[in-house]
Amino acid sequence: MSTATSVVERLRARIGKPAPSAEATVEAGHLKRFVEAIGDPNPRWTNEAPPTFLVALVPVSMHLAEAEEYGKGWLNGGNRFEYVEPVKVGDRITATGRVADVYEKTGASGSLLFIIFETEYVNQDGRTVARLRGTAIRR
Amino acid sequence: MTIKVGDEIPELVKHPTTRQLVQYAGAQGDFYEIHYDQTYAQSVALPGVILHGLLKAAFLGQLVTDWLGDRGTLKTFEVSYRGIDVPGRPYLCRGRVSKVEGAQVELEVWGEDPEGHRTTVGSATVEMSG
Repeated sequence: MSTATSVVERLRARIGKPAPSAEATVEAGHLKRFVEAIGDPNPRWTNEAPPTFLVALVPVSMHLAEAEEYGKGWLNGGNRFEYVEPVKVGDRITATGRVADVYEKTGASGSLLFIIFETEYVNQDGRTVARLRGTAIRR
Repeated sequence: MTIKVGDEIPELVKHPTTRQLVQYAGAQGDFYEIHYDQTYAQSVALPGVILHGLLKAAFLGQLVTDWLGDRGTLKTFEVSYRGIDVPGRPYLCRGRVSKVEGAQVELEVWGEDPEGHRTTVGSATVEMSG
C-alpha cells in the first residue's frame, strides 16, 4: 500500500514501548537563559523551574525521524503537564518517554498523523516530579 | 480573598519578536526551522516563521503563576494549539476561574491574537494552601 499507511503501521508498532531514558541536572545558568527567553521576570524562577521548563531540560524526542516520511511538516497539537513536586536547581532528573498512541485523521485540508507521547520525570531520590503528555502532528 | 467561579485573571500581554524565537529555540533546544528560517517556513505552507507552541504555553504558564503567587500550588496545566501566531504582533493571555471545589480551583486560560482569535486554549488546576 501507500507509504503513508506503512509509516502509520510502523509507528503504531512502537506504542507502549519505552524509549531510552535521558538524564540531566537542572543548572542555574540554563534556567536563567530559559526564563529570559520566555520573558518571565518572576524571581521565584532563579531557583525553581517554571511550569514548562522540563521540555527544555531533557530533549524529549517528539519528532520521530521515521514519521517524517508522512506529510511535509510538524505541528505541536498540545501539551499537558502534571506536577507532583517542584523541580529545583541541582535536581538530577531522569526522563523516560514512550509513544502512547498513533492515529490518522482526515479533515478538510487533508490527512494528519497524530503521535501522542508521554514522558515521566523522576528526580535523584527516585520520586516522580512531573508527567508530560504531548501531541505531535504531521501534516 | 475568596476565589469564585467567573473571577478573571489579570491579563498578560506579550510582545514576541523573531529575536525572542531564536532565544527560545536555543533555551529549549528546539531547532525546528519554522521558528527562525522564513524561507523554510514558507516552503511548508506557513506565512513565515511562527511562535513555538511551547513558548505560548510558557506565556500562559506565567499568566497562571503570576495570578497564583504563593497562595497555592499548580497541579496540572494543559494547552492546545489551535492556530499559528507570528512574531511582531502582541499576544494577549487571559483566563478565568471555571470551577471551585474546596481548595481545588480550575482555571480556563487562553491566548488571543490581535483579532481576538483564541489560538491557544488551555486549563490549569491549582490547590490553594491554608
